[in-house]
Parts: sequence; structure tokens; C-alpha cells
Amino acid sequence: MDNYIQLLLEKIEAKNPEHAAKLRKNLEGMDSTYFEMAGRFYSNYDAYLQREAQTLDFGISRYLKLCADMTDERIKFMATGKYSSTSFEEVEKRVYGNTDTMTYHMHGLVLGQFLWFEQYERIKFFCDRIQHYAGDKPGKYLEIGGGHGLYMMEALRHLTAYNRFDLVDISESSLQLAKGIINDPRVNYYLKNIFDFTESDKYDFITMGEVLEHLEDPLQILKKIATLIGDTGRAYLTTPVNSPMIDHIYLFNHEQEIRDLFREAGLEIVEEKVVISEKIPESRARKYKAPIMYAAFVKSITQ
Amino acid sequence: MMNTLEKLNEIFIEELENPAIKLTEATTANDIEEWDSLAHIQLVFTIEKAFNIRFTNQEITSFKSVGELVKSINNKVNNG
Repeated sequence: MDNYIQLLLEKIEAKNPEHAAKLRKNLEGMDSTYFEMAGRFYSNYDAYLQREAQTLDFGISRYLKLCADMTDERIKFMATGKYSSTSFEEVEKRVYGNTDTMTYHMHGLVLGQFLWFEQYERIKFFCDRIQHYAGDKPGKYLEIGGGHGLYMMEALRHLTAYNRFDLVDISESSLQLAKGIINDPRVNYYLKNIFDFTESDKYDFITMGEVLEHLEDPLQILKKIATLIGDTGRAYLTTPVNSPMIDHIYLFNHEQEIRDLFREAGLEIVEEKVVISEKIPESRARKYKAPIMYAAFVKSITQ
Repeated sequence: MMNTLEKLNEIFIEELENPAIKLTEATTANDIEEWDSLAHIQLVFTIEKAFNIRFTNQEITSFKSVGELVKSINNKVNNG
């Protein structure tokens, strides 16, 4: 399936050679695990596209639109030091409530998952450590904001003893895309707000990737997660630093702000990973406010 | 008095922290390691300030060489 990555790069190259050259440079030296994981995921995505009577060119054009948006947002961010959207209501109108925008945004992120090396580092960290932290025993797994479904796909592979897999999302289109790509009957899908889960809905492991930056008050959802994992559970949380996108509201200027927020919510970091999204020295990344991927396994401080 | 290319050369050296930079109109981002997409935006902001001009977002992302940048700067400076 490394051919699929090559195919993606060739198709991108035909439309945007500079961007393809950057991707090729960043993906140099990727190991076999990368190609295996990308292969599994893109096989599912390809099957989903076929069921939806779409082609890969559909995905590519949406990916390039997403990249154009990101450049636009970065220019605004560098000029103002802020994300362009500041409220959930604004993003609801601009993105979530706009089917066309939501569609290209989601499909763009599907392709970005393995074209952007820091996104691979994020899922690899998850896969390398999930069994250690989730335990090899029957349990309940929850993902909040399933995105394109990759994390649930990998959780299903790694947590073979777990007997319940739930995915909750407040976006119908996001939930449908995840459902279409995961395509596995073991997963229960809930179109609802995580705050509607009750105190008795305890989980052994919760994953929430790239959600905090979409919220006006991320502390509240972190507190909710602390409640849901209780005294024995663990969670895997990720969010970016300096990552302007059309649907990002909450700006973390430095990873220390994320650590501080986890602690305020009653969560203790047990292992973390920080990856600069460009292959440049840290001093230059800080100077130009390069996006930084932050991921951590956490537990309740009371544990 | 410095011409546009000479002034740009000074900006590039200072912004990219590379005193060895010697721009020509044919220079592209491929010729200067530090001139990546992140640095490019900051470079353009510094150029805007130095020449007292403004570029649109589309212009910022469309420059393929120093020559194109020089031409655009001169057009904006001369046409006020």
C-alpha cells in the first residue's frame, strides 16, 4: 500500500508541485509500520469512497482546498497572533453548519493523516502505548469526537479483550464519515454531547484527539473526562499548539499551557509526546510559531 | 541609495539569520534552506513594513522567485 501514498503524492504533484515536494521531503525515511498503518486506513477510506460513488480525485481536491484554507489562516494568525474564529457559534455557521465546507474539511483531514508526519507520530504514539495503558482485559472504551475514525480502527485492533467500543460526536457529518471508514459492527455510535453522559458512565479508557482547540472552554470537557475515567481509567488526549484552522477557537501558545490545563482539570500526565510539525530546529519553530503536536496519556490526579 | 533587490537582500539576511544570502532575481525558495513556508509569511510582513506596502493573501502565496517579489514591490511603491 506504499503505492497508495505514492499515488496520493503523484496526484498532488500534478496540481501543486511545491506542496508535493514538501510532503516528499517530510516523509523521507518513513518505516514499514507507517506504510502498513497508512495502507489499512486508506484501504478503508478507498472502500468508503467507492460506496459513496466518489473517486480519489474527489479526496485530493478537497485536501488541496484544506491546505489553501490553512495557508490563509496562517497568514491571518501571523498578522494578529490570534485564531480567526473566537466563538463556537461563529464556527458553527462557518464550518459545522455548512455541508460543503464540512465535507472538504473532513476529507482533507483524512488524507492529511498520513501525509503530515506529525499526525503519523501522534497515531504511532497511541498505538505503541495503548495496550500498556488500557490493559489487556475486558473493558469499556470511548472516543470523543471520532474525526475520520483512525483512532477507533486502531483501538479495535489493539484492545482485543475490550468488550465495548463507543464513539460520541456532536457532528452528524463527522459521525457518518467515521462510521463509513471504520465500517465495524463492534462500534456503537452516539450523536450527542459528551456532557449528556452521566456520572455512572465510567470508561476504562477514553481517547479525545484534536477536540480541545475547537472549544471555547476546554477545561470543562477535561473535567468531564476526569470524572468519566474515575479512579482507575486512563485517557489519551491530543491538541495542537499554534495551529490556525478555520474551525479552531482555543489557542494554545505553548505546550506548557496544555499541561497546566490538564492539571487544573484534575488530570496527571503519565507520558507525553511533543512533535514540531515542520522539520526545523526548535528555535526557528518558536520564532515562526510553527504548529506543534501535543499528545499525552493521562490519569486522574486522585489515582 | 539601495535598489529593491539590495534592500530585499538585507531583509532576507536579517530575517533568515543567514549572512551568506546573496539574492538574484532568479533566486527561489529552493535555493535558500531557511526560506520555508513559515519563514515566507514573516518575510513578507517584514517587506511590507520596510516598503510601506500591503500584499493580499493571494499575492503572498503566489511569489515563485525573488524577481516576482521585486516586480510586485516596485509596482506597489511606484503606483502608491
